[in-house]
Amino acid sequence: MAEWLSSLRQRLNALLRRRQLEQDLHDELAFHVAMREEQLRTSGAIDAHAAARRRFGSVSRVREDLRETWAIAPSVTSLVRDLRYAARTLRHSPAFAAVIILTLGLGIGANTAFFSVVNAVLIRPLGYPDAERLVLLEEGFPQARIERLPFSPLDFEDFRVYQQSFEDVAAYRNVPFELSGGRTPERIMGAKVSPELFRVLGTGSAIGRVFSAGEDRPGVNVAILSWGLWQSRYAAAPSIVGQSIHLDRQPYIVIGIMPAGFVFPRRGPLFNGEPVALWVPIAFTDRERVERGTLHANSVIGKLKAGVSLSEARAELDLLSPRIAANYPPAVRNAGFAPKLFALPFREGISGRYQAPLLMLLAAVGLVLLVACANVANLILSRTAGRTREFAVRAALGARRAQVVQLLLCEALLLSAAGGALGVALAYGTIKTAPAVLTRTVPGLEHLALDFRVLAFTAAVSLATAFIFALVPVPTLDRRTPVDSLRDDSSRATSGVRKVQVQRGLVVLTVSLACVLLVGAGLFIRSFATLVATDTGFRPAQVLTASMTLPRAFYATASSVRTFHESLVRGLSNLPGVRTASIATDLPLTIYEVRAFTTEGLNVLNGARHTTTLTWVHGPYFETLGMTLDRGRFFAAGEHAQNRSVVIVNEKLAALAWPGEDPIGKRLKWGAAGGQAPWLTVVGVIRNVADGPLGEERRIHAYEPFRQLPDFFLDGAPNQFGRDVKAAILADGDLRALAVLVRREISKLDRQLAVDSIRTMDDHVSEVVAPQRFVALLVGVFAAMALLLASVGLYGLLAYTTAQRRKEIAVRMALGAERPTVMRMVIGEGARLVGAGLLIGLLGALAVSRLVASLLYQTGSFDPLVFAIVPGVLGSVTFLACALPAWHATRVEPVSALRTE
Amino acid sequence: MGADRDKSADLVQGTLELLILRTLATGEKHGYEIAEWIHTASAEALSVEEGALYPALHRLELRGLLASGWDVSANNRRAKYYRLTPSGRKRLKDVTESLRRSSSAINRVLEAT
Repeated sequence: MAEWLSSLRQRLNALLRRRQLEQDLHDELAFHVAMREEQLRTSGAIDAHAAARRRFGSVSRVREDLRETWAIAPSVTSLVRDLRYAARTLRHSPAFAAVIILTLGLGIGANTAFFSVVNAVLIRPLGYPDAERLVLLEEGFPQARIERLPFSPLDFEDFRVYQQSFEDVAAYRNVPFELSGGRTPERIMGAKVSPELFRVLGTGSAIGRVFSAGEDRPGVNVAILSWGLWQSRYAAAPSIVGQSIHLDRQPYIVIGIMPAGFVFPRRGPLFNGEPVALWVPIAFTDRERVERGTLHANSVIGKLKAGVSLSEARAELDLLSPRIAANYPPAVRNAGFAPKLFALPFREGISGRYQAPLLMLLAAVGLVLLVACANVANLILSRTAGRTREFAVRAALGARRAQVVQLLLCEALLLSAAGGALGVALAYGTIKTAPAVLTRTVPGLEHLALDFRVLAFTAAVSLATAFIFALVPVPTLDRRTPVDSLRDDSSRATSGVRKVQVQRGLVVLTVSLACVLLVGAGLFIRSFATLVATDTGFRPAQVLTASMTLPRAFYATASSVRTFHESLVRGLSNLPGVRTASIATDLPLTIYEVRAFTTEGLNVLNGARHTTTLTWVHGPYFETLGMTLDRGRFFAAGEHAQNRSVVIVNEKLAALAWPGEDPIGKRLKWGAAGGQAPWLTVVGVIRNVADGPLGEERRIHAYEPFRQLPDFFLDGAPNQFGRDVKAAILADGDLRALAVLVRREISKLDRQLAVDSIRTMDDHVSEVVAPQRFVALLVGVFAAMALLLASVGLYGLLAYTTAQRRKEIAVRMALGAERPTVMRMVIGEGARLVGAGLLIGLLGALAVSRLVASLLYQTGSFDPLVFAIVPGVLGSVTFLACALPAWHATRVEPVSALRTE
Repeated sequence: MGADRDKSADLVQGTLELLILRTLATGEKHGYEIAEWIHTASAEALSVEEGALYPALHRLELRGLLASGWDVSANNRRAKYYRLTPSGRKRLKDVTESLRRSSSAINRVLEAT
């Protein structure tokens, strides 16, 4: 220690007096040569000067060596020299280099590919200026046990007036449109937005203008197109600005085009989370302003004032909530239906859901890289055995330990750089083939790319791996004395023993890491399987769905809408192979409407309003989707034809509203007990059906015949409500062929009506579980990679040790040991390593699996089945890795093995 | 580092190191004088180029086993003189002792037969 300090101190000193050092070096060597020259001349040599220089050797080389000795940091020349030498060494062992580069490429590539996913979803900036000040605002009704919802029109208007923490707030809502005029009509997703939205997002139009203040009133029919729509449908003609397009067969004037790459809304939030092709101003009609507590459809985004923190804004929201609640009718408020405002960072609203699983996966893929590094370190250790003489010579020639380390690092850097390059190539290929279905569900994946952040990550990872496996052999290197290693005898294994111990440790490490990953994969696969096996509450098989929206301009009256429904159901039912057809405002796995209701006969105290999701149906909806009837009956044909004030509820609603009683015959009404809505009689109770992601708790749900939707909701076409049509068709045979017929049937009724993609219900279900499937798949892939790498490492080590023990094995066999005994010996050695790794791995898995318990669906983190299977899988795969070298070992010819020594 | 290294391992590593320490035990010398002394004392050790002495000298100096100073030599040239530090003296003593110990062990073995 003292020596190291002394050396550091003197070197620092020399660094400060570089010119003096140079001078000193020159003088010292020149002095020696001059003295030698004098001595030679005195003893009569002919060319004393040349002879002196010859005896000395290359002065410049010695000076260079001395310079290096005194240098604190490696000089560029020494680095270049070491890199060149390293390249040459690696070229002489191409197989060794290839295996290492491949192993590293795999580990680094997997990490790069996955990090680019994390980057695209979680890290990459949203693309709006000051995005960290963007906040998503929501309303909830805690007393009524309603979780976060978008705003109702009146609540938004109040909030906008009262709030002080935000520079601007804007409401927005996804609205599908039929875009026509000119080309074939197409169904596009649009958004109604406040004019302030573009100020909030800090982005202006590329061409034309955005909405001005005050344009958010009914009758202002202007539209802003997205860049993509402008390119695809209008051939990027600037003249489109100022012209009119037809939305739902109404003329709208195009006033601007948004820049390329601008996206809003973003995918991810539960409500209004679909990117759009155009924007129109949001305009609340008087009808929408009628009542509090309904039409919570408008998402709100705000930009915090500079210097105002989110917690300060939240504090203000806590003060505003009662102020807005005060504007509610007293009866409503006292029934426990008072709003509370919430805020969360906009980014979290988009991708908060994915943070935990993505980070977990990043950790998992990091483990794979660790296994790869351990394997590479093992390989390098095996190889350093063959290089002891080289290092001994260097040491004898005076090489400092630091110089040897520098050489090893240069080799490691070359290998890591090559591995990193290969990894980037692999990652690029993987990303190009990313599954499309995930791009639809996971926000941000459409921007998956190897940007500079990802590449910087790759570089850092490659550097780190280089350091790890370069420095592993170093401790085993030092102890050897030059003289010992110059001897040829390899049976003296004093330093070799230590090396083998390290190698064994590395193998145990890789096995335990593989074990942890295997347990993780098992848990996630089990979780996914459980999720998929969940009873959805309906029967998706053989059900075809189609969705469309009736444009308000052409279906302006309630009767026109009802006639369409009737004709469509009739037409679809008559198609060949169709058993039943029905339509509804929404299908299972989605939500359309949320309403508050009161039940009859309860005293005021218990008259707390409940909320339920509501679906309007026409035709044999329940039968088509195979829902299970618990009590009572489904709607009768008469109830679809005439308003009979009936309602069907699900189990959850019945249990909440009438616990312990028979719900059939009970009555409920929308809104408060004293309100205008009619009392509805419960005629049936169905089993709970999934309304969203499968793992989530089922919601309270009610169903009404579409006939009962009051005409005034539809007449005059105030908004899109009630005009969304989702058809569900139960049919035999090939659904794809049926899809063609369905499309034809729809166009028969309305040639201009644009139909959404026609898909099977099975596809919907599959898409809903796509993220979980992805996670299970990935963890499985990582576990397989780790297991493969660990097995290869185990094989390598056993092959190496048995090769070293050839003499011993030969002697044993010569003395009569049978093949199986020898095999047992080798396999036993491997088994001990695997056993140790398994033990450590299982313990580690027990500790780690608790961290991911929140990501699992109805699977405990100590799932016994998984913990039982993993050792079996690990054991069988590693057994193969042991068996091969064991077999080779027995093929040793005793005589020849002994002779070679 | 220094103290906890295996003493017997250091024994053979750096024969040159030992020779340098030994020659400086008898007083201050510059590089040329050291080279001459080693050449006289053991011709084989310096069958390599003379320049190879200097890296070893400087490394010993960096490790604090030698100290150096500049002075004017006998024939009026600027020369760098080396001398042992207390740590250098200690190191010489340790190495010499373990050499003596192992050589006496060998002797004993030889004489035992």
